[in-house]
Amino acid sequence: MSNRSQKRKEQKPGGLLQGLREFMYGMAVHDTTRLALKTRASMEHLFILITLGDLLGVPILPPYYSLRLLPYVVPQISTWKRRMLREKDLTDSLA
Amino acid sequence: MNSLVAFALGLIVVFVGYRLYAGWFERLVVRPDAERTTPASMYMDGVDFIPTSKNVLFGYQFKSIAGAAPVVGAIMAAQWGWLPAMLWLFFGAALFGWIHDYSSAMMSLRNDGMTFGGLSHRLLSPRARLILLAFIYFYLLLVAGAFGAIVSGLLAKQGAAMLGLIALTAAGVLAGQMIYRWKRDIVLTSIVTVAIAVGGIVAGTYVPAGALMGRAAANQTLWALFTFFFCYLGAALPIWRFAQPVNYVAFYVVFLGLIGGALGTLVGRPGFTLPAFTQPVIAIGPIWPMLFVTLACGAVSGWHSLVSSSGTARQLERETDAKPVAAGSMFAEMLLGLLALVTAAVAFSGRAEYAEMMKPGGPGAGAVFAIGMGKLLAFIGVPPALGRTFAAVLIVVLAITVMQLVLRFMRIATSELVGDFLPPLRNVHLATLVAAGLAFFLVQTGWWQYLWVLFGGANQLMASLALLLVTIWLMTRGRCVLFTGLPMIFMFVTTIGALAFTAYQLLSKVTQGLVAGAVVVGNTLMALVAVFLIAAALSLAADGIGAFLRLRRERVQHPEAAPAE
Repeated sequence: MSNRSQKRKEQKPGGLLQGLREFMYGMAVHDTTRLALKTRASMEHLFILITLGDLLGVPILPPYYSLRLLPYVVPQISTWKRRMLREKDLTDSLA
Repeated sequence: MNSLVAFALGLIVVFVGYRLYAGWFERLVVRPDAERTTPASMYMDGVDFIPTSKNVLFGYQFKSIAGAAPVVGAIMAAQWGWLPAMLWLFFGAALFGWIHDYSSAMMSLRNDGMTFGGLSHRLLSPRARLILLAFIYFYLLLVAGAFGAIVSGLLAKQGAAMLGLIALTAAGVLAGQMIYRWKRDIVLTSIVTVAIAVGGIVAGTYVPAGALMGRAAANQTLWALFTFFFCYLGAALPIWRFAQPVNYVAFYVVFLGLIGGALGTLVGRPGFTLPAFTQPVIAIGPIWPMLFVTLACGAVSGWHSLVSSSGTARQLERETDAKPVAAGSMFAEMLLGLLALVTAAVAFSGRAEYAEMMKPGGPGAGAVFAIGMGKLLAFIGVPPALGRTFAAVLIVVLAITVMQLVLRFMRIATSELVGDFLPPLRNVHLATLVAAGLAFFLVQTGWWQYLWVLFGGANQLMASLALLLVTIWLMTRGRCVLFTGLPMIFMFVTTIGALAFTAYQLLSKVTQGLVAGAVVVGNTLMALVAVFLIAAALSLAADGIGAFLRLRRERVQHPEAAPAE
């Protein structure tokens, strides 16, 4: 099999029907999914900010609970920091 | 002209524009690299930055850009005749529209998924960000005003749409409850809620608003209040409670209607009854520059650049996906605009009835669409009265679903921009009421066609600003800037001309005493908004020229410096 046909095959895993399904999903549900993810992320990030804000320079008084919670939030710390520290403005909320 | 021939021509334009021109531009100017890591992968946070299939993103981008504007704009532009409208749709999409959407997405993609605020700060000047945000605020105010005028005018004239809209709203609220509170299956939720919405549309056909409300059903002020109350709920309530699930149910109604209209065109193949060309000057002004702002979204639209940069660019899995997603969606929207033009061109037996609908105080473009779409749906067996009601609800939801999101954004922008100086405006309800009140005032005091032209002008000016940013960005990369620079200059001159002409028309009516009462204030307010938009755009253009000269100077002084991505 040539490189080109192999590449084409990789790019079209499900063919036309799969493409149509994804297109419909994009039109109907993708926004809803993003909204649910954003809502969850906002809640989780707020929670992490309250408990581990000292990682960003926000003073947190009793570190006991932060240390107890640390193992559970470790997987999210990098994305949390990235989202919290990323430069944002009003145009972020347009889409 | 036969409607099927019109669609065949549209498909040829898609082929030439997408396959040939877009392919060539992509290969030689932007040079995307499928192997290069995109912001979606680099900064993946599972929320804003998330690699997504291009098919999903194509659907997302198309849904986000396809609102009432391509429909209403095409129908309004038919006042000059169907030929100028069709030519601008074809040439606008093929030479301006796709390149604007695609390059906006690519610019954001190559700048860490930055949105237009940050990009204008980086590429133009620090003050450009603030000017752009103020520009966007007034642009969205005009969106809310123009769409509000369309919705309230249509509901006052097409009472059959009332029950359908109420049923759809109730179905949307129920959908939110079923999905987020009762944790029901999405398929079951969709079937139940879409059935309720369609049931309401059928019931509305037989029980119009007049039968329930008497003469009040024809009161446009009442419907404007209803429209803005609906939008207030969408803007002030939690998004999952109202705005988002209503939009979800509305999607199916719109989708069914548009598919039905396309099938109707295929089966019925009706001929155009409107003349190809009427006259160069109509009530809203001369064909240049007014046609190019009246018909915006089907040809080129600034809104698309905001969606491309703020939403799509952060989800592209590969750089090469940008063309099918952004350019592909633009061409799909051109076909939607063409369908709207077909509905206007086949709706009546001649021009006189169409002109009667479009004159001041007439039912307007929404009603023309409802009648034309009703005729197309009749070809596939839908009773004409039901088809008209379905189409009326379709155009209402296309407009009102965008309005509630626009007011939501304006509410956030109001509290962000002036909340420090006026702390009460940090309050959700007060900020929403201010935004809704301003738009309501525009609807009540302005002729909807002027309001539409101002909205179109702001939209096209946004497009020219996006093209300005893209041109500067391509220049920083050392690429050819002609293909974005020339459209930018054309759009800039044309839309400044259209806005200045409309502001002059509005103010001259005030100074000559041709209007009285609240309309004086409305005309003055609209003219001031137009003048502000022109001033903001000129200021951004001055910054753009400054950036252009700075880059050219740097290149002359350091010709060996290779631009870094």
